[in-house]
Amino acid sequence: MRDYQGLATRAIAFAVDAAIINLIALLVGVGVGLALSILSVSNTAETVLLACGAGAFAVWTVAYFAVFWSTTGQTPGNRLMRIRVCTDDGAVLSLRRSLLRFAALVLAALPLLAGFLPVLVDDRRRGLHDMLAGTVVVGPGA
Amino acid sequence: MREDPPVKWTDATRPVTGAVSLALRAERGTRRALGRRAEDAALAALDAALASRVGGEAVDRVLASDLAARAVGRALEGPLVEAVARDVVRYAVLERLSDGVLDDPALERLLASALESPAAERLLATALDSPAAERMLVRVLDSKLLDEAVRRALEGEELWLVVNEIAQSPAVTAAITRQSIGFADQVAGGVRGGSRNADAWLERAARRALRRPPASP
Repeated sequence: MRDYQGLATRAIAFAVDAAIINLIALLVGVGVGLALSILSVSNTAETVLLACGAGAFAVWTVAYFAVFWSTTGQTPGNRLMRIRVCTDDGAVLSLRRSLLRFAALVLAALPLLAGFLPVLVDDRRRGLHDMLAGTVVVGPGA
Repeated sequence: MREDPPVKWTDATRPVTGAVSLALRAERGTRRALGRRAEDAALAALDAALASRVGGEAVDRVLASDLAARAVGRALEGPLVEAVARDVVRYAVLERLSDGVLDDPALERLLASALESPAAERLLATALDSPAAERMLVRVLDSKLLDEAVRRALEGEELWLVVNEIAQSPAVTAAITRQSIGFADQVAGGVRGGSRNADAWLERAARRALRRPPASP
């Protein structure tokens, strides 16, 4: 039987990834904010810049997960916890499947994280996003 | 008829005292000359003994004997060592020795030959194993001299140059890197082990709540 990974391990890996994403975004945000502070920017431009920043953050987050899942199958958080995301037959995800998994991840988080609860009772420890994308999270021996 | 003046006692004894003092001077001169001859003869005999093969062999045998080792051991057990150490410091022996004597090549040869002899090795072993050596080490460690030496070494730039050189060496940096990676890996391993246990515990709790059978291993 394959070494499917449970909720706590995956949550820790996700927390590490979230910390990395936010730290880099924070550094970039501080840099851009300092650069803009010496310019006089109107309120409208400021609003537009904020919207652009939010959009950039969303793109950065999606790209982070999609690129790691579709290349090595491991984000830095996954690597730390020695887990890997793959398809049911053990192959690395395609970029399209990675994007689908991320969208399903957002969906699973929306109802107060209820979409992750199936991990606790499913035989292959799959959450809603795994079921929708046809993926599993396995350990190093798998 | 005129009477002759009386003869004085000192005038009568003058020839005798003169003869006696002359004899005494002659005796002292003879004794001094004999003493010098005897000293010269004794020194010549000593020089001959030191220069002879027998003298050297006698010294070697004495040094190689158990008696010499026991004598050194006894001397080191007693208060002699402390007294010598005190006097060495009090009379600045080391400072005086360093003024020229240490540069003498003859001293270097003498020390080399003495250190290479088996007898010196035995004596050194006896000295190091003695309680006196231990006492001396404790005294040195407790002394202000050591504190002062350490303080001066720490104040000097040479020590920090050496420390910098060692710290920047590839072997040390590689060792630190290995150590850091090993430590991080150890921490991550602990987190992984804890998270695996938490996974199992959460699943058991969820299956109990839903009245589902435990997951197959």
